[in-house]
Amino acid sequence: MKLEKGSISPKELMFSVFCFMQGTVLRSGFIISVTRQDSWAMAITGFLLTLPILAVYTGLLRRFPGKNLIEIDDIVFGPVFGKILSAFYLFFFVSLAALNTRDLGNFVAGYMMPETPIAAVTLIFLVGCAYTLRKGIENLMHLSVLFSIIAMGALAVNSILLLKDVQPEFLRPFFQLKFSEFVQGTVSVAAVPMGEILAFTMITPMLGKDKKVGKPLLLGLALSATSMALVIIRDIITLGPLVAIVSLPSFESMRYVSLAGILTRMESIYAVVLVILFLFKVSILLYAFVLGLTQMLSGKSSPRINPDPAGQSYEAEQRRGRRSAPPLVLISVAFVFFYSLFVFESVMENMNWGATTAPFFSLTFEFLLPAVSLLVVCLRKIDKAQEVRA
Amino acid sequence: MKKQAVKTGGRVLRALSVSFSQKCRKGARRAGVFLLCILLILCLCSCWSQRELNTLAIVLGTTLDVGDQPDTLTLTAQVVKASELGSGTTTKGNSSGGKAYVNVSYTDNSVLAAVRELTRMQNRRLYFAHNEVLIFSGELAKKDIAEGLDVFMRDYETRMNVNLLISKGKASEILDENVELEKIPAIHISRLMGNQKSNSETVVVTLRDFAIATLSGSSAPVAPMVELYESDGKKYAKLEGTAVFKKGKMIGELNKEQTRGILWVTNKAQSGEKTVDTPWGQVTLEVLHSSSDLKPVKGEDGTIRMKLTIDVEGAIQGNETTENMSIPENVAMLKGKMKNDVRSDVEGALVQARTLSADVFGFGEAIHREYPEEWEKMKGNWDQEFPKIGMDVQINAELSSEGGLVKPVTPGGAQ
Repeated sequence: MKLEKGSISPKELMFSVFCFMQGTVLRSGFIISVTRQDSWAMAITGFLLTLPILAVYTGLLRRFPGKNLIEIDDIVFGPVFGKILSAFYLFFFVSLAALNTRDLGNFVAGYMMPETPIAAVTLIFLVGCAYTLRKGIENLMHLSVLFSIIAMGALAVNSILLLKDVQPEFLRPFFQLKFSEFVQGTVSVAAVPMGEILAFTMITPMLGKDKKVGKPLLLGLALSATSMALVIIRDIITLGPLVAIVSLPSFESMRYVSLAGILTRMESIYAVVLVILFLFKVSILLYAFVLGLTQMLSGKSSPRINPDPAGQSYEAEQRRGRRSAPPLVLISVAFVFFYSLFVFESVMENMNWGATTAPFFSLTFEFLLPAVSLLVVCLRKIDKAQEVRA
Repeated sequence: MKKQAVKTGGRVLRALSVSFSQKCRKGARRAGVFLLCILLILCLCSCWSQRELNTLAIVLGTTLDVGDQPDTLTLTAQVVKASELGSGTTTKGNSSGGKAYVNVSYTDNSVLAAVRELTRMQNRRLYFAHNEVLIFSGELAKKDIAEGLDVFMRDYETRMNVNLLISKGKASEILDENVELEKIPAIHISRLMGNQKSNSETVVVTLRDFAIATLSGSSAPVAPMVELYESDGKKYAKLEGTAVFKKGKMIGELNKEQTRGILWVTNKAQSGEKTVDTPWGQVTLEVLHSSSDLKPVKGEDGTIRMKLTIDVEGAIQGNETTENMSIPENVAMLKGKMKNDVRSDVEGALVQARTLSADVFGFGEAIHREYPEEWEKMKGNWDQEFPKIGMDVQINAELSSEGGLVKPVTPGGAQ
């Protein structure tokens, strides 16, 4: 097989996006409490709202092929202002990593191991993430297809087992939303799971210079939106109005599985899948953070994180003692560990933040800053942009 | 020459020391990995939050009664005694031949407080993940059912597919019933609930169903009732009727015919028997399949009526008469009788629901789904609106089979 190690294919990028989203999809309680039986539609409108955001990213990435977000900042805004902007992105990545770590900790400590301190859970989890980064993020991305199959398989099996308990009429009446609720639901979906695709702007250079980045990202998002809509529909027709008051609708629906008194307690499958997907997500966020940090601190535009596919092979790099993983992994993981411990005092605070502040917090980084960058690019480098397009 | 030797020696020494330090590093690394493996092995036994079977008190049934002090309730948990379970009644195993369960009980302000208090009396912790039935006493249900519901749904150990029942009389006594075929009363009741498909006279309600109906705002939640009867000085439990709730309190009961009426309307009746009177005697019909469809229809004057269509498929299962029931005229007559029977069930339930002004059929939800705008106007005073909603019932009955006999067994029927 003539696969160049250290680089990824568009297909792997697409499934990586899917895995990245899926962790949040399975915890979709945050919008269902607002938009109730119409939440499934929010997955679609949220996806549509993400399209302009995605267009901004591809616009930026296409103008600077082979560069990631932090490098683009340096080019567009110069070394000083670009670094300040990059610092904002890094803050966003590390915050997301900490928030997701905390979510996982809350889930495991709350539902599975109530007597284990959350720190023990998140520490072991983060050690797993650090190991992933040391072994090279591209290996994780090669596995994305497998993880997607596992996630979809688990979803399908659980849904089939629930078929005898569902009541489709819970979906009706359709679209009884106030306009404000509709906007809130759409923006939440666009900002919280979907817009987090921003982290992939640090990874797309791994595709190689000649590959288009827009298509795999778009397809990955579309796949995630579809699965999100399906998961939400499944939860609604299983739980009815209960869906709006339980904290983890998917988890509760799977707990309800009981077929002939034998096939019960399926939530362990859900838990395993959720942990894998969270590992995937946090690893990617951590990678984005660590890579950005290294680039910022070293001041070099390309610190050989990803071996150039056209240049020396990965093994040669290894032989010369260079690691494929950026430095600072362990220290970043330690930082995320402590950050995740104090980021929220309680689950209630976490939920409240997720429902009220998170969309605005996220959209600032996901949409506002990249859009400004693109605007500056268009105004300052019109010639280069035209050149690229031609 | 000497200089040269010193130089060479130095080089050798340096090379040696480098290789030594490399070896050391390698060794240290190996030791580190080895230690890590040992540490990981320690994790494997999972001693953290471990729960061994012999330290758990596995709860199979829970009841809640009104406590003797104001604002208290009594929790009774039926804990399985595993050592008594394994042996049959005739074989002599290690068991002492006693009951296979223990009922533990405590009265306190809340469910959780009672569970915690029980740890002062029991050496094992109550483990609710395998709880199969949850029984509220009628007295408690008439006061307030909310607390028990909340705690049993909020806790991560309990499950929402537990069967919910309301007892006539004290709930804790139900778990003390005499069981003969099973060893544990809670299992008896839980399997009993699984069996109710075949008579269609009991609503089978899980905690989830009850919570969904409670959340709806217009529907009146229902739950099956269980009571004790005495036979030869021993007490046994049986299912009898349905409890009707409104705003979190039990407000009335339905008898078994009215319960069957609800099941017809809500498309939950599956099987059952109907004994009909004919001019020649009684004939027993079995309901094989049935399905129903409830739909609100808006009339020309803007009022909403419910339209109920029931399809019943039955079979002749018993003929006590000497008349041949398989001839077309008699089949038509039996179909008519079956229709009337179903209709009277439905109408009986409707009358009782109107008397209680309790929407046990989910009319409100059906209107909400079909005519959301009209529903906005009606939902404010649904209590007054509900008894005024009319219902048109259309029943399609089929008799598809006559069992294994084409003619009845009559004395001298061979001539």
